[in-house]
Amino acid sequence: MDFSLGAEEKLIRDTVRDFVEREVMPLESEVLRNEREGRPGVSPHTLKVLQRKAKDIGFWGINTPEEYGGANLGSLATALAFVELGRTFVPFQFGGYADNILYSATPEQKERYLIPTIEGSRRSCFALTEPGAGSDAGNIRMTAVKDGKSWVLNGEKIFITNGNEADFAMVFAVTDPSKGAHGGVTCFLADRDMGWRSQPIRTMGEWDPGALVFEDVRVPEENILGQEGHGFDLAMRWIGAARWAIPARAIGAAERLLGMAIEHAKSRVTFGEPIANRQAIQWMIADCAVEIDAAKWMTFKAAWMADQGLDNRHQSSMAKLYGANMANQVVDRVLQIHGGMGYTKDLPIERWYREVRLFRIFDGTDEIQRYIIARNLIKGNVRLGED
Amino acid sequence: MKILVMVKQVPDTATRIRVAEGNASIVTDGIKWVINPYDEFAIEEALRIKERLGGEVVVVSAGPQRVEEAIRQTLAMGADRGVHIKTDEALDSHVVAQALAAVARAENFDLILTGKQAVDDDAAQVGPLVAVFLDVPQVTVVLKLEVDAEHQRLVAERELEGSIEVVELPYPAVITAQRGLNEPRYPTLPNIMKAKKKEVRVESLQALGIVPNVKVRTVSLSEPPERPAAKILTGDPVAAAHQLVELLHAEAKVI
Ligand SMILES: Cc1cc2nc3c(=O)[nH]c(=O)nc-3n(C[C@H](O)[C@H](O)[C@H](O)COP(=O)(O)OP(=O)(O)OC[C@H]3O[C@@H](n4cnc5c(N)ncnc54)[C@H](O)[C@@H]3O)c2cc1C
Repeated sequence: MDFSLGAEEKLIRDTVRDFVEREVMPLESEVLRNEREGRPGVSPHTLKVLQRKAKDIGFWGINTPEEYGGANLGSLATALAFVELGRTFVPFQFGGYADNILYSATPEQKERYLIPTIEGSRRSCFALTEPGAGSDAGNIRMTAVKDGKSWVLNGEKIFITNGNEADFAMVFAVTDPSKGAHGGVTCFLADRDMGWRSQPIRTMGEWDPGALVFEDVRVPEENILGQEGHGFDLAMRWIGAARWAIPARAIGAAERLLGMAIEHAKSRVTFGEPIANRQAIQWMIADCAVEIDAAKWMTFKAAWMADQGLDNRHQSSMAKLYGANMANQVVDRVLQIHGGMGYTKDLPIERWYREVRLFRIFDGTDEIQRYIIARNLIKGNVRLGED
Repeated sequence: MKILVMVKQVPDTATRIRVAEGNASIVTDGIKWVINPYDEFAIEEALRIKERLGGEVVVVSAGPQRVEEAIRQTLAMGADRGVHIKTDEALDSHVVAQALAAVARAENFDLILTGKQAVDDDAAQVGPLVAVFLDVPQVTVVLKLEVDAEHQRLVAERELEGSIEVVELPYPAVITAQRGLNEPRYPTLPNIMKAKKKEVRVESLQALGIVPNVKVRTVSLSEPPERPAAKILTGDPVAAAHQLVELLHAEAKVI
């Protein structure tokens, strides 16, 4: 067993760290100011400039296949990069990314959807959740009925990330009610100008997902992604891909927050002594460090398994569940160590506090992850003591 | 232009340095090793010259196994190949400079670049010594460098207290870099991926014909005295100002 990173992985980590420290973190106070005044944290223009800067040094499409101009880094290298990006709350991502399921597109669809998404000229959203179907996504009700050479979609989607900005949706609808999730759900590539509408949903976070309304939206039959009736498999593949990315970001945020807490504890004096000398504070610091370390190795193992071509679904669920909760524990303790200062909008702690709460909900709630993990064990898909 | 860049791997400047048992060295466990920041300016300058005039950038570093990482990082920034003088011995500037000069002599370099000093021991000896051993001219603490390839000459601007000295010289020559010479680039992802495949030749002192005749020995290291806790003056600003003046005069003895 070897826990050390390879030379290449270290260089990737150090370069992204440097980039984040020198180019992204300087925007932090501006982001806080913008958001306080009701504007987006970073303007689309600033984001483009940053993404171009990153692209100049090759950080573009980091996990996009080489044939599409990407760098096709492995999962572990990508996880390392995500940890570094997570150290700042500035909503920045490298450009050149497209959803994994768009690679299942036909050559014509690739020209119209995949490639423009990679290039950044089009924006996608993944629309599965409905008001009546969240954790039980197999229970969606949106209908698609064949009419001549097109399908007519009716229904509503909710909590769709990028739903207000996207110009096309990968939307999931029931094409065969008798089969439901088992062969009756199909994924469609639905352009906004085919007639669907969106409405922002205010959340406790700094960005708003959208509610999407489909009323007799006609989608041409050549816009089915993958095969008719295979939509649910695609949905599960999309969700599975991002699972270890969430704890990876959480680790970066937690390390940054803990660093802030340690600095504060050393300099804040009460009753004549720095609070860092108090056991109550030390225990919080220790617990944070232990949980961060555990989350880190669970996440890196999930990513490493993907690189080895191993089935990492069980490990990813554990890493996502643990990492999401770790981040929530850490930010809560860090806020506590900061006292009143932690509660103010002068520091980014409260912002992180609100943001990491989402980690326990999307991409499978805590409860759903636990359900998956337990089911794997009870059914014997995963055996204890055999990894 | 064939350029040699001499780099040293040093503890990250944010490292908390602790003296090891025996008081002759520092604790190296857990240290984050980085390229000496001044050497980064040298690498950047070499890469820029190569981009303008073509040629090759070779990086050399002396030290234990870990030094290879520093060399690989320069390859990820765009250097073409590396030479690692592998040694676990504690050397002085003189022996290191002899070894580096031996590498430089074996191939004919047009230009040899390095940092003005290393931030660990701040000796600032290696660059000048290499120039002496190779019997070529040198300019230290350089802020600006121009290469006139047609006439094989350099124009270097170096920092003096309060003024700038402009030096013209022929090359081959040794130039040591000062902060401000340029802004070092990030490694690029394609270069990071290529770095693994680039050549890093391993050399030994013995193979270079160097007898490590160390002349400078560290007798002892000690940590600076701990700074007393800060004193915070509160209350009436006028009274506090008086108190501050009094303290600066009587206690700190600076005014
Ligand atoms: C900001 C944000 C962005 C999102 N982005 C997207 C997106 O881009 N695309 C998309 O399709 N969806 C998206 N979602 C939706 C998200 O995936 C769902 O919110 C999530 O799957 C949970 O579904 P739900 O909200 O309907 O909760 P419910 O499924 O109603 O769950 C309510 C509670 O019951 C628990 N629960 C449910 N079933 C069980 C069970 N069997 N046993 C025990 N407990 C159970 C849940 O864990 C939860 O605590 C987003 C959500 C948010 C908040």
